[in-house]
Amino acid sequence: MDKFNEILTNHISNWNMVWFGLIFWGSVINAIAELYLVNNNSIFCYLFGFLLGVVAKIRGTWLWKI
Amino acid sequence: MEDIKNIPEEFSFEKEKEIARSFSKRFQWEMILIGVGQATFWLSLWPLVINGYISLFFGSLIATICACFAYLPSHEAQHGNYSRGNPKRRWIDSFVSHFTLITIMFPHDLMRCTHMKHHAYTNNPEKDPDYDTASAKSLWEVIIATQVGIKKYESIAEIFKNDNAFMKSFNKGVIIGMMYRVILLTLVVMFPLETLLLWWLPSKFGIIYLSTFFSWYPHYQADIGRYKDTKFWSHWMPRYLNHSMQLHFVHHLHPGIGHYDEPKAIEALKPFLIAREVPGAEDIPERVKYNPLIKR
Repeated sequence: MDKFNEILTNHISNWNMVWFGLIFWGSVINAIAELYLVNNNSIFCYLFGFLLGVVAKIRGTWLWKI
Repeated sequence: MEDIKNIPEEFSFEKEKEIARSFSKRFQWEMILIGVGQATFWLSLWPLVINGYISLFFGSLIATICACFAYLPSHEAQHGNYSRGNPKRRWIDSFVSHFTLITIMFPHDLMRCTHMKHHAYTNNPEKDPDYDTASAKSLWEVIIATQVGIKKYESIAEIFKNDNAFMKSFNKGVIIGMMYRVILLTLVVMFPLETLLLWWLPSKFGIIYLSTFFSWYPHYQADIGRYKDTKFWSHWMPRYLNHSMQLHFVHHLHPGIGHYDEPKAIEALKPFLIAREVPGAEDIPERVKYNPLIKR
């Protein structure tokens, strides 16, 4: 159980931004696209969210660095 | 205690504590009302918005106001100011703090243990968990500092990893923090815009408001030491809109004083602060009313 907790904690610590980008921003972008675009493809919305998360992970922040 | 030898007996620390203690007894019912009230109000926004009784943008505005009121009731609980040392009333501290913090997705245990360290090491660059916002050079830096997220807490845990009591509380808070994350990511799949505008965005505004008025203004460019680590400051805002944080100084001296008793306490403690040559103490009005509290 401790090993599982450690793996889970490390995974969240390293990949939380990517998951957040994919699920949170992907869902939000998809909802906005559904409101304003006629031919919306959800996959692209979630892919865009995922990319936002990857960029944030590489940069280490969602916004600007101090 | 700095320069204790030069302080006349009538302004001794013991007498100061005695006065402070007289303001540290009252049951803080206002804070419970605000904490439980705002969280209940915020929760009720979800069915109201989802069922179309109020617009999402109006709901978002109300949620942002709720988020700005979310922290202070928890802050009183973190200092045990509801239970006042009575073990039978500790559940009130825990309940109010957990419930009010839902709006800004903060775990009570994490807030409590890091806040105690903030009091113990105020303005210490290595050990004060709030030093990132307190040392920000502009409001923009405060905003950026509030968005760092999980990394800030990882570095705090590294500093205090040998403090077992701290880590126990910290780890409990991390679990609740993860639960918030799971709930947020589940809700956003079902109600994407509602989750964005009723929870995520208001919580961000709430945290920026909190960091600005609770951390940055009172501690910015202040020194280290009991009578030096927090400063008096003035602001154009009526003090009720910034939670009277111009009086944060007295909270750092005596955290047991209830928030709504701080104006009276600071009036009573004014001669003690002047005797200790606290900067700005001589400008404390005889009667603390509206804004500005401190003349500058």
